[in-house]
Amino acid sequence: MKPPNPILFALYRSFLRLYPWRLRLLYQDQLLQTARDAHADSTSSIHFWPSLFADLLKSAVKEHLFMIRDQVIARPIFFHALTIGLILTLMGGSAAATFQQMLRRGANQPQIQMAESYSAEIASGVKPEEAIPRNNVDLERSLEPFAIFYDDQGTPTTANGYLNQSIPSPPRGVFKYLRSHDTDTVTWQPQPNVRIAAVIHRVAGPNPGFLLAGRSLRLVEEQESLFSRMVFLGWFTLVFLLIAGAALLHRFQRRNRALA
Amino acid sequence: MHRMSDNETNGINKHQPLSPAVFAILLALAGGEKHGYAIMKEAAEPAGGAIKLGPGTLYGTIDRMIRDQLVEETGYTDDARRRYYRITSLGHRVFSAEFSRIGNIVRAPRHNALPKGARA
Repeated sequence: MKPPNPILFALYRSFLRLYPWRLRLLYQDQLLQTARDAHADSTSSIHFWPSLFADLLKSAVKEHLFMIRDQVIARPIFFHALTIGLILTLMGGSAAATFQQMLRRGANQPQIQMAESYSAEIASGVKPEEAIPRNNVDLERSLEPFAIFYDDQGTPTTANGYLNQSIPSPPRGVFKYLRSHDTDTVTWQPQPNVRIAAVIHRVAGPNPGFLLAGRSLRLVEEQESLFSRMVFLGWFTLVFLLIAGAALLHRFQRRNRALA
Repeated sequence: MHRMSDNETNGINKHQPLSPAVFAILLALAGGEKHGYAIMKEAAEPAGGAIKLGPGTLYGTIDRMIRDQLVEETGYTDDARRRYYRITSLGHRVFSAEFSRIGNIVRAPRHNALPKGARA
């Protein structure tokens, strides 16, 4: 009897973990022995091993599906609870995703208005240093909106927003994109822990360049994180109540059946 | 002559039509008790249905057939890793019913309906 390749055989043995636990417990030794016997009779290892692994994967999926079907038939209450849980998860998930999107989009205000207004002023001939307010916003600490004007080469010339006493610049790709599209909305991270909701406009006219209006996302992200925790807690409580309710009902029904 | 009760008929009907794997296993065991690999080999033969069963498919199917009381372990083993299976009386009846069902299909006169190249 020709022995199977020890590495492939060990791999097959470990792949048996994909098989449902109960079947593995009952048939593991027989599965391995049958694989050994089949290998001894096979004429080509090139065909034997792929077909053996393919059969294992296919049958593992099939047996898991059969197992789920059997459990559903045996415990319909759990199936209903699972369905309700799934529907609630999908509904809650979509609502949470929508709310997060709204929060993030809301973070682009007032930058949209600022970018439109300042870029229109600059395009009409007003100098960037006159269009942009003169206050000083620290991007790392402040939640105030700020504006930066970059010349046509992407070099910052005028700003009221600073990071470590210098004017930060977004990646070059942003300017490249704006040469063919007039406006862009991005989440910009000039340094770790500093994330900015930025709206950038291409400016034409006597002072061509790019006008970036931004605002720290710190508050929005804190709200998002709090909201995510609340959603998870709500979902977890709901699933726990569903499972506990289904288990109680199942027990109650079983006791009633036993008494009947 | 044994006449089947309605319950027996229902018990047989609920298994029909048999999947190719179940049919091939019953066909192999109809000839006598066998261990897993012997069933696999016989099923792969043209006369056994020419069904290529891998070990994973074979034991998953056998497990369901044991639960449906179509086959059972004999308890005999020449090696702890090779267990023998035999067909039960219900398995025999289900197999015979399936055999007749297929026989009826094969014998039915439908020369015009056969696909091109098929032999009646």
